[in-house]
Amino acid sequence: MKFKHAKPTIVEADMTPMIDMTFQLIAFFMIVTNFDQTQADERVKLPSDQLARPPLVAREDELVINVGYKRNLAGESIAGPFVFYTGEDVPVLEFGPRFQREFLLVEKVEGKAKAQEMTVVIRSDGDVPTGLIQELIKMGQEAQFVKFALKAKAATEGEEE
Amino acid sequence: MKFRKHQEDGKVEMQMAAMIDIVFQLLIFFMLTLKIVSPEGDFNINMPLGAVAPSNDTPPPLDLKVKLEANPDGSLKQLYFGEIALGNAVPDAFDRLNGKVGGWVGSQDGFSDDLEVELITDYNLHYRHIIKAISACRGRMTADGKQVTYIEKIKFAPIKKPAA
Repeated sequence: MKFKHAKPTIVEADMTPMIDMTFQLIAFFMIVTNFDQTQADERVKLPSDQLARPPLVAREDELVINVGYKRNLAGESIAGPFVFYTGEDVPVLEFGPRFQREFLLVEKVEGKAKAQEMTVVIRSDGDVPTGLIQELIKMGQEAQFVKFALKAKAATEGEEE
Repeated sequence: MKFRKHQEDGKVEMQMAAMIDIVFQLLIFFMLTLKIVSPEGDFNINMPLGAVAPSNDTPPPLDLKVKLEANPDGSLKQLYFGEIALGNAVPDAFDRLNGKVGGWVGSQDGFSDDLEVELITDYNLHYRHIIKAISACRGRMTADGKQVTYIEKIKFAPIKKPAA
């Protein structure tokens, strides 16, 4: 009896559609990733407002201060308010020395004029007492900062809190 | 003369494995670093280091006073434009404030650049009401989504410490 000896064949999957899809996914994630708001803390529930629009020209230097509460899973505040600063939870009224340290650091590296040009951007939870925000601004002034900005979430009409 | 046998055209295959590895790593990086956040805007407030005494030549800025009183729980008790009470309903009270400020700015015959708003607030008032008040003084949005600016200069009055 005669047997035919079949040559072994290599089965190759067509990778082209998968690579196409993967590149499209990468392009999507690259576009939607926002590296500007890396200093924003997710624990802060910002108030929203229609007039709050991102600045047309991005600031060169800014110091972002996040003020908020520690919350439980239900979203109720359990402690605070704190300034969330480099992994520490600092009570708002104790933030003064850190403001001074920030100013001195920028002054040493870039000079006093540049340090005073820096804007202190306050991202505060909507429930924080205004008096504490004023105290924070006052501590910033004592550390020689001049420019301050208050953050709010951009909202469309009917979307505001 | 001896000729070599004509070789068959070999299929040149690119090595794709390395590229696919890197592409997947990039994909995972972007997926993990993705943070979906709504856009944020801000309101500038200029708080100079010390109050400069006005010279005799320059007229003093026209200060508008907006006062916000708070209930013990931090909610809005009463909103005032000067001495006029505008209520405590949110957002109606702030809409009324916006209308009052707009009317005041309109009556200044183009001198609204000199206007400054001073916010007088109770210590425990929730921050969200201050944002609303600043927004009401700053301007309004038109129906076609353009911003009309009323007053740029906004400052806080000195802190009112709560009675012990």
